[in-house]
Formats: sequence, C-alpha cells, structure tokens
Amino acid sequence: MSGHKVMTHIIFEGKQIELEEGQSVLSVLLDNNYEIPNSCQAGVCQSCMMQAVEGEIPAAAQAGLKDTLRAQGYFLACSCQPTSPLRVMAANDMDLQSPATVVGHTLLSDDVLRLRLKPQSDFVYRAGQFINIWKTAKLARSYSLASVAQLDDFLELHIRRIPSGELSSWLHDEIKIGDELKIQSASGDCFYVPGDVEQKLLLAGTGTGLAPLIGIVRDAIAQGHKGEIHLIHGVRRHQDLYLHQTLLDMAEKYSQLRYYSNVLEADNDSQQKTNRPLEQQILDIAVEPAQWKAYLCGDAAIVNTLKKTLFMSGMAMGSIYSDPFLISAAADTDV
Amino acid sequence: MSSLYERIGGEAAVDEAVDIFYRKVLADDRVNDYFDGVDMEQQINKQKGFLTMVFGGPNNYTGKDMREGHKHLVARGLNDSHVDAIVELLGATLQELGVAAEDIQEVANIANSVRDDVLNK
Repeated sequence: MSGHKVMTHIIFEGKQIELEEGQSVLSVLLDNNYEIPNSCQAGVCQSCMMQAVEGEIPAAAQAGLKDTLRAQGYFLACSCQPTSPLRVMAANDMDLQSPATVVGHTLLSDDVLRLRLKPQSDFVYRAGQFINIWKTAKLARSYSLASVAQLDDFLELHIRRIPSGELSSWLHDEIKIGDELKIQSASGDCFYVPGDVEQKLLLAGTGTGLAPLIGIVRDAIAQGHKGEIHLIHGVRRHQDLYLHQTLLDMAEKYSQLRYYSNVLEADNDSQQKTNRPLEQQILDIAVEPAQWKAYLCGDAAIVNTLKKTLFMSGMAMGSIYSDPFLISAAADTDV
Repeated sequence: MSSLYERIGGEAAVDEAVDIFYRKVLADDRVNDYFDGVDMEQQINKQKGFLTMVFGGPNNYTGKDMREGHKHLVARGLNDSHVDAIVELLGATLQELGVAAEDIQEVANIANSVRDDVLNK
C-alpha cells in the first residue's frame, strides 16, 4: 500500500506498528500476521475487543460497549482508527502476576474466610472485580474484591471453604498472616460506574457473591450515590448470613441503603421463616425494572435465572451486571 | 434517497430493537428451546449483528458464516417454521418501534434471503 500517508502508530507486544490513514487497528494487526479474533468487522459482534493501556481511544471504537468496559479502556479493534499513538493489548493478555502479603485472616462464619492482602506494588482495581490467586504455576482460582480502593489500604476477599477444594482449603488451613501470595490483576465488568447519582440499584447475591456486592455498595456510597440501593443476600442456612450485623448497621447509617436477607432453608433453632424465592423478591423490589440497574453475583444457575427474570420483566440487558461464579472441574470454585 | 438502515434509525435503532426482539424470542415457545442455556450477553451481541444485517446496515456476514453458525441447530431440528417465527417476531418488534410497513417488508426480505444458508439447504 505504498503511497499512503503514515498517520500514526500503535504499540503492540512491544513493537511499534505504523498505521496508514483510515486504517483500523484490526486490519494493521492482521496485515502484520498477528492472530486477532474477529468476525463481523463492522463494530457489532465485539469479538475483536482489545484494551488500550496508553493513548486516546477514538469514540467510534467504543460505540456499543458497556460503560464498565469503556471505563477500562476496552475498544473494538475493527472500528478503531487512531489519530495519535496508542498502546494496545489483547483483551485477555492481563496475566501479570504480582506478590501480595497476607495482612488479615479471619473466619466470618463456619465456612467463610475473610482474607486481607496488601499488594507489594500499585494495584489498580474497582470494587466488585475479581482477581486470581495462584497456588502453583498451574492452579489458580478467582475471588471477588469486597474492598474499595479509595477507602481501604488492603484487598479483601471472602473465601468459602469448598469440600475437597484445593485452593480454598489451602487458604483456610495453611495460609497465615505474613505469608506472600501471587495474585493477578483485577478483571471483570461488574462494578459501579459513576453517572446518574439518583439511579435505583438492585444488588442480589448468593453465598460469597455478597463480597463483590458489598464492595460495589461501599464504592457507590463513597462516590456520592444518592438513589435507592437495595441489597439482597441469599443463603441456604441462617448461619450463612456472614455479614448480617455489618449490613444492618450500614443500612442504619446510610438512608439510601436497604438490606434484605433471604434464607432458603428454614431451621428450627431460629425464628427465621423461609423467604419467598429470590426471583420473586427482586421483582417485588424493582417494581418498574426498566428504571433500575442490577448487579447479580454468586451461584451461576441462580444468577442466570435472576438475569433472565429481570430482562424479561423489562430491564435493559445493558443495565444488568453479573458475575456468575463457575465451579471448576477440579471441584474447587470461586464461590 | 436514504437507505433502509438510515430510515429505520441506524445503530440507535438496533440498540433499541435488540432487547425487545430478544425478549420476544425468549418468550416464544416455538423457538425459545434453541436459546436455552445460551449466554445471554453473548447472544445479545449476536442479535445486534443479525439486526444490523437485516436492517441493511454495515456487515460482513457471509453465507458460510450463516451455515457454520446454525449447523448445530439444524442438527437439532431447526427448519422453515422456526425461520418463519423469527421473521414474524422481527416484524412485531419493528411495528412496536413505529417502523413503516414497507420498510418492515424490506427487512423481512433480507431475513428471508439468508434462509437457505441458515437452514443449510
């Protein structure tokens, strides 16, 4: 294509690659024999999504992307025609490990551990995203962040002990304060994005799906959110409400916050009655779903049911943020 | 003379139509079995691609893409009656959005033009 004017360049995998006028990031990378996933090449299918870590992203390259993805610098390579230098990386090329020291190790219930870590270098994240913890070079599990970067000087994770779960047992039984763990940069698009401070928010989580949600709630309030925030913690047994008092106290302190517990199995010891199903409860709260945003975290089957329930009742798919916890084949899990 | 895509409202119309259309699809017992267990957000993106195409918007879908993408569904019994249902739901969506009848017909024509590829005929 000689004769075309070189406009600017991108930096990818440490190499500077020159762009001609009107050329997209996708086309120049494909021309240079990089394998970049792509399909429609029209800014629609999102399979060519990449991340910019330095430089200015043209607005057209982020059209149609969810706000949480835009905030992290994700863009569509096929629609990206930069006019100034841009450093880009593959969307999944985030696997930089960094060390962190254990500064807190406390049981919140009979099977949920609160682990607090202090990263040894700057660690950028948003409350509600997840990080990987590595036990060995081949074994890692994802855990959601309950801490808020602006408020806490540690990372907080809630780790449920999984029967025969290799990583959760290790974190519960062997790891102690002062130990060093290898963690991986935060990812995920389930977090609070400042915008409409009056927006009504519905947050529903099961089990340790509460971890990202409490992070999102604290983040939203710290960023001045004024609209109603309704938080539901769904659990199997009453004793699984591992932050019950903390959440009651928070709801007392912040008038915009309402907290609901939803216990699946009634037990004889407590006065707790069986609650109505979560999918019914969320519709009772979010009466006009189209006016709400929702955050759903925890058990994958329940999260997907709740997502479908809200969508079919009129909530926009773009207003639903979810993090379904997947159980790995090795019986360990990030729940 | 503006194009079909421009008349319908371009990208903004796709964004507006996609939730309505997908909701109709999931609620319709004739076709919703084929969408069971599919990641809803990925599916929304695919639906956007589909709507952009049938609205006459920019796309690079080929007959081969259509065949590959629906092969597993054809094996599960996908046939003309399902395509008819989708075209019908598409029409109902556009009607709800106030699109003119002749434009809806043109959209249906584009959708029908990929029928054989979708059904691997």
